[in-house]
Amino acid sequence: MPAIKKYLAPKALEDLIRDASTEGATILAGGTDLLPRWSRGLTPVAEVVIDIKRVAGLNGVSRVNGEICIGACTPVCDIAKDPTIRKEAPVLAEAAGRIACPQIRNRATLGGNLCNASPAADTAIPLILLEAVVDLASATTDGTTVREVPITEFFRGPGATVLAPGEILTRVRFKPPAGGMFAAWDKFGTRPAMEIAVASVGVALKIEAGKASWARIGYGSVAPVPLRGRAAEAELVGKPLTPQTIGKCAAAARDQIEPITDVRASAAYRREIVGVMLRRMLERAGSGRKG
Amino acid sequence: MQEVVEKVELAFTVNGEAMSLRVPPGATLLEVLREDLELTGTKYGCGEGECGACSVLLDGRVVNSCLVLAQECDGLEVLTIEGLRSNGQLHPIQKAFVEYGAIQCGFCTPGMIMAAYALLEANPSPSEEEIKRALEGNLCRCTGYRKIVDAVLSLAREGA
Ligand SMILES: Cc1cc2nc3c(=O)[nH]c(=O)nc-3n(C[C@H](O)[C@H](O)[C@H](O)COP(=O)(O)OP(=O)(O)OC[C@H]3O[C@@H](n4cnc5c(N)ncnc54)[C@H](O)[C@@H]3O)c2cc1C
Ligand code: FES
Ligand code: FES
Repeated sequence: MPAIKKYLAPKALEDLIRDASTEGATILAGGTDLLPRWSRGLTPVAEVVIDIKRVAGLNGVSRVNGEICIGACTPVCDIAKDPTIRKEAPVLAEAAGRIACPQIRNRATLGGNLCNASPAADTAIPLILLEAVVDLASATTDGTTVREVPITEFFRGPGATVLAPGEILTRVRFKPPAGGMFAAWDKFGTRPAMEIAVASVGVALKIEAGKASWARIGYGSVAPVPLRGRAAEAELVGKPLTPQTIGKCAAAARDQIEPITDVRASAAYRREIVGVMLRRMLERAGSGRKG
Repeated sequence: MQEVVEKVELAFTVNGEAMSLRVPPGATLLEVLREDLELTGTKYGCGEGECGACSVLLDGRVVNSCLVLAQECDGLEVLTIEGLRSNGQLHPIQKAFVEYGAIQCGFCTPGMIMAAYALLEANPSPSEEEIKRALEGNLCRCTGYRKIVDAVLSLAREGA
């Protein structure tokens, strides 16, 4: 049993923001990263735990000023099933639906997946493709302040983000992509069930007059952070999707990533698999498929 | 735990019955179910979300009770394997597990049955593939899974 001394479950955002600035307080969302870390002794058990799931306004998908907003406490299973997300951002629904198993997906939140900052966080790559931003709220002397951070700038390293002590990720936002785009995401694991990705790849493309006019590429589990594939994007934009272009993109991807060797795969294998996954996705895009 | 931590009030519903007790703030739902409420049908396998032996329903959703603090359940409804029986009769899922030989040592069984229950509540006519996906988070060291899938499949209503 974690030796927690105090458990708080604020209902209003102002109360949460105030409580979160308490020295030594830890934010608890779904607990699916935190509780295993506590029981393995990887993270010291917090004296004060602040459960944020009862805070009004942090749960659910909504549309505000033309943007799709997802509350930090929305469980990933709800994201996988949400009709708006499935229609407008199917890559995110796909990634959310492939996290772990039903028991975990029912608890795991989007905010927790991002704030835990694993390079393997499955929702991060689709959010890079969607050019999402996160809202980070914190206490000031006379209330609350919110700053907006692009998802590509949120991660700082394995387990590290730009979150300041006491700062809370309140929601994730993105503009629904224009119709007719190609978008795909996939992860590769050592078994089909309960897989933490050996590597994951996502691609979003606009193709106009036979050429890629815009591209976003992302890789998971192959760098200290979920990585935007700028090198491969640069090889792609303005070019037709010929085997030559695709080959150069895959090579750029293999060069840009910085995989490590761990229990799941070697660095060399990860480099190889990322190239192959990216090549296959671009071939699908070139053949006129939507994803 | 060396230090004495003050216990806190917890009021929730377990298997349809309102409960109120005092628990340490760090107690997991699994610990409270097994140790305070003596509902030992729910099992401790790994304590890390990997095995599913501790599966229960929390407000209708299947969760790993080892990864939930009891305090998080304040005001909520929990359903455990003990709550499936009605009028002294086993639940149809329990009967199917017996009939199909889907139980050997039985340690995974309560978790498997709760995961199957959650599936059938949401989708009364799942395909074999959907059953396998729904039981992905439940490990069994004995049966090889085939009989478990068959038991659940026998309950899938025609017409999906
Ligand atoms: C068996 C198992 C399998 C898993 N499989 C996968 C998988 O396939 N893919 C995958 O991506 N992940 C996987 N995970 C990891 C985990 O389930 C996810 O990362 C999940 O989304 C974490 O969310 P949570 O709400 O449970 O986070 P929590 O454990 O509650 O929190 C995680 C961290 O983020 C902080 N935090 C949470 N919310 C906020 C917020 N709003 N603002 C500021 N800080 C916050 C917490 O303080 C903590 O440090 C798995 C975990 C387990 C146990
Ligand atoms: S004991 Fe909870 S998942 Fe294994
Ligand atoms: S019957 Fe023994 S673990 Fe499943």
